[in-house]
Amino acid sequence: MRRARGFAQLVLLLLAGVSRVAAEDRPSVVIDPGQARNYGVAVQRFATASAAANPGRVDAFREQIVRGLEFSSVFRSIDPKAFLGPETTVSIDDSDSVLCGDWRSIGADALVEGTLRTDAGQFIVEFRAWDTTRCSMLLRKRYAQPAQADVAPLARRIADDIVAAFIGVRGVSATEIAFVSTRGGSQEIFVMNADGSNARAATANRSINTFPNWSPSGESILYTSYRYANRPLLFVSTRGRGKPGRVLAKLGNRAGIYRGVFAPTGPRLALVMSEGEAAEIFSVNLDGGNLKRLTNNRVIDVSPSWSPDASRIAFVSDRSGSPQVYVMNADGSDQRRLTFQGSYNTNPAWSPDGRWIVYETRLEGQFDLWLIDPTGSTNVPLVSHPRNDEAPTWAPNGRKLAFSSTRRGRADIYVIDLSGDNLLRLTENAGSNTNPSWGPFPR
Amino acid sequence: MGRFIATSLGASEQRELRRLLTASALVHLALALFLGFSPGGEIVMPLGAIAVELVAMPAPAQAPAPAAAAKAARLAPPPPPPAPKQVVLPKETAPPKPEPKAVTKPKPEPQPSSEPATEREYSDVLSELRAEAGDEAPSPAAPTQTAAAVGSPTGQPVSPAFLAWERKARIHIRQNWVVPPSFRNEPLRTSITVELDAGGTILGEPRIVKRSGNPWYDDGVVRSIQKASPLPAPPEAGEWSFVFVADEGF
Repeated sequence: MRRARGFAQLVLLLLAGVSRVAAEDRPSVVIDPGQARNYGVAVQRFATASAAANPGRVDAFREQIVRGLEFSSVFRSIDPKAFLGPETTVSIDDSDSVLCGDWRSIGADALVEGTLRTDAGQFIVEFRAWDTTRCSMLLRKRYAQPAQADVAPLARRIADDIVAAFIGVRGVSATEIAFVSTRGGSQEIFVMNADGSNARAATANRSINTFPNWSPSGESILYTSYRYANRPLLFVSTRGRGKPGRVLAKLGNRAGIYRGVFAPTGPRLALVMSEGEAAEIFSVNLDGGNLKRLTNNRVIDVSPSWSPDASRIAFVSDRSGSPQVYVMNADGSDQRRLTFQGSYNTNPAWSPDGRWIVYETRLEGQFDLWLIDPTGSTNVPLVSHPRNDEAPTWAPNGRKLAFSSTRRGRADIYVIDLSGDNLLRLTENAGSNTNPSWGPFPR
Repeated sequence: MGRFIATSLGASEQRELRRLLTASALVHLALALFLGFSPGGEIVMPLGAIAVELVAMPAPAQAPAPAAAAKAARLAPPPPPPAPKQVVLPKETAPPKPEPKAVTKPKPEPQPSSEPATEREYSDVLSELRAEAGDEAPSPAAPTQTAAAVGSPTGQPVSPAFLAWERKARIHIRQNWVVPPSFRNEPLRTSITVELDAGGTILGEPRIVKRSGNPWYDDGVVRSIQKASPLPAPPEAGEWSFVFVADEGF
């Protein structure tokens, strides 16, 4: 009997061998991810039309693109010294083909080429990004800006576009992070590029300023300041683009306004305010109109964070006897406790895709960062360290987070991938750096 | 009252309040010096307007699907955890420089209780080393994958020749498949079919049989199989199919 079955199998195998077998009749090979996490990218020096172009500027432009691509965690740059193809773009005319084999053989999965020129007071950059494996152009784009404007943000923007062309998620190297720093003696709001470069002050009132929060457009930064009469009030810094100053004028002189957070979809703020004994959460228009109380009890309710569609708000309350993360509808209804693990959970931040809420949890006397989904069914660690990791904020693409940590003693700002990879310190040796707020994509 | 608030506010608010109280004298001094009243306290940072012109963007990069995919992902039950790692840095050692070029991930301290992700990477390295040595590595996810592979869809038993090739092909393709952090551990799955000659070279274009819902992930899959050509020689020339799974093992 067994022999008969074996014979039948042999016949079947022979039959399979002689007749053409369709793929669907064969078993599939299942492939799961290996080690490779980033694409090799070759970025050429962009060609310049005029010989008078400053070579240093051209090199700097390339370097900014490379930095932006590497910050994405999606690409690693290939040293131009290894190029078999030209180091400088020859032409980006569509009639000219790219020798993809030359780029593939040095490990470049992607090739970036482009041109720079100045025309009628405009700095014009045009570039192409290639998938060398399939030798297909993934992206071709042109940017123009006033000739005297800084070109570095433009280069980073190009890098972010290329990231989007490869993985469908825009890079964030052209975004900015606001934070609080004591580097100048007083406690001011600063802004830096998302990779930590070019930190500069956004306030200079020699007072105490804290809780920066970007408007959805990126035009202004809301912050709490003690600059008047020793009382916390909200202000906006527009960094020169509009009239800065106090907001919520219609609220008059309320006792204490501790923190404001812009709704992601509109001009409304979530507000932490104390009129009586305990701080409560309100929602309000930027001018102070249409004030609505969302929490109403004798305990503290603080740290509001909007869901991306602004329909819900995560917040912290100690109504259970210890600070815990809660969620509620934006009108204050349906308040539910979200965290049950640990005796001190605070500073929730809702991810831009709505899937996660990152928060601080105190374990063994110090704060770590954990992720919980809005239903509370998944609760996992993101960052843990023997010292405090605090005040998490999401990159607008939802793939990175910034936070402050005292792991080196004084507080510094760090970024990390959502996967837990690529921890990077952004601030260094300059006072205490805390409360990061990651800005939106540039317009 | 201030004390009451200080005891029951959130950690960061508490610290802010403490800072407020301790620094109030400073603030008063600042006020007295009229420094705090300076309306010109904002730093001017003009930014030139940028004109954008999208000259060309071929289909894959233009596909509007990600919005739909993202929506679907939002509606879907919460995905498995995004492999959060316990980032344990050596105390007081120099962390990476802020330049992205020096994005060297600080090495986690070796932990006896390493989590699945770490183990998987380790076995990954092992299998790759074995592959280089010409060995057939036992695949880290062998149980699942063998279960998927054993027994063809028509119920025929799978030949040893297929199993041997499958292992080699898997290792080879994994080395050529770049999976950026964004895609790892997401519920993405793409099935493709390729025509292989007897030597393992891909003939013609790979065909996507089942899309993942994320066109960029599908793109990466096609890119990887093309980059992997020639594959190890298959048991016989003809059409073979591959399933690329981003969240296998989680």
